[in-house]
Amino acid sequence: MNATEQIVAKARELLESGTVECVIGYERATDGVNARPLFVYQAEEAGKLIFDQTCAHNLAKYLLNRKGKATAIVAKPCDVRAVNLLINEHQVERDKVLIIGVVCPGMVETKWGRVSEKLRQACELCREHTPVVYDFLVGEPGDEEAAVEYPDVARMEALSIEERRAFWEEQFSRCIRCYACRQACPGCYCSECFAERLDPLWVGIRIAPSESWIWNTMRAFHLAGRCIGCNQCERVCPMNIPLSLLNRKLEKETLELFGYRAGVDAETPAPFATFRKDEKLEVGE
Amino acid sequence: MAVGHEPRIVGFLCNWCSYAGADVAGTSRITYPPNIRIIRVPCSGRVDPLLIVKSFQMGADGVLVAGCHPGDCHYSEGNYHARRRLAVLRPFLEYLGIERERLRVEWVSASEGRRFSQVVSSFTEQLRKLEPRKGAEVEVSS
Ligand code: SF4
Ligand code: SF4
Ligand code: FES
Repeated sequence: MNATEQIVAKARELLESGTVECVIGYERATDGVNARPLFVYQAEEAGKLIFDQTCAHNLAKYLLNRKGKATAIVAKPCDVRAVNLLINEHQVERDKVLIIGVVCPGMVETKWGRVSEKLRQACELCREHTPVVYDFLVGEPGDEEAAVEYPDVARMEALSIEERRAFWEEQFSRCIRCYACRQACPGCYCSECFAERLDPLWVGIRIAPSESWIWNTMRAFHLAGRCIGCNQCERVCPMNIPLSLLNRKLEKETLELFGYRAGVDAETPAPFATFRKDEKLEVGE
Repeated sequence: MAVGHEPRIVGFLCNWCSYAGADVAGTSRITYPPNIRIIRVPCSGRVDPLLIVKSFQMGADGVLVAGCHPGDCHYSEGNYHARRRLAVLRPFLEYLGIERERLRVEWVSASEGRRFSQVVSSFTEQLRKLEPRKGAEVEVSS
């Protein structure tokens, strides 16, 4: 059985037995090329589910709309780490989620109505193919995963500070503050975002470089030690702003300083949720 | 460095130690540069990175966060939390083009008036050596 067939069979079984009320997965979008999220409530509908290299969405965010209700979710390794993040942060209950983990071949770019063979950038850098946790696994678990590396971040770090400042000013100046990056992110679930506060007004409503600068800086920092690297933010950005370069810098820092990678499990407290009294951090030295 | 440029520093001082330390500097008539604008906060743990980023957005040349020495925080652990956040924020700001020297973190107790004055003096001197901040961040919304 291929991945799609396994998912369909599992979804049908779960809905028929009443183990879950809903299965969140993917179906083919109306363009016939891309995938889109599908919520299956009836066993008869399970046949619509698909899985292939176009299933780029991280569906974990939808679990936030199903709090306390038994739900199964089709999840790639990065998505599974998002589920762990939400469990860790008490947004989702582990025993209400059934994870249909998928061994991931990497997602490909779809452009101009065609599926290309080119892996998405995040998938090219990703070293994880088997989900860290699952209730049911689709595909064969691979060998041990290689260590994460940050060649893209290292290239930025190698630039002079003036070059970096100019680079980000140019990038952020294109931001139209649609907030799609936030809407797509599984870690951005505050009911009131600082960007929408009116008093105090942290981010002014006008589209100006300085307002986009504070938005992008804080959007990324709010994910420090929490970002699981699914790259949904960058995928949905209509202005092609390389948000992964910000997220991955923070990921690299928190990994180096605290040996922490978000979502690897659902128990270890996030770096900003804890501390060690005797740690040396070169702050207040 | 631009001629006549005076660096502007936003200082977030915790109420229980560093703000009291600054007060001691004042009552002891120890002088320090007027470049710092002090904002009293309950604890260094209250210094949301957003406050720092906002200060830089509005054109601050430097931001000082000062709190009780580790172990002395009035709320026991606020400064330990602050330490972690600032340890990540500083390299991140540097990555965005804000020199790491522009964000300074110091532990100043309620009796260290002289040390407070030294911190502000040396920070001001350090900032004088850098270009005044300009660019997108300086453009201020009223
Ligand atoms: S998705 Fe892109 S353009 Fe929209 S707010 Fe985020 S960074 Fe800006
Ligand atoms: S910041 Fe981007 S990469 Fe990180 S968890 Fe959110 S959407 Fe995924
Ligand atoms: S009260 Fe001074 S650092 Fe917490």
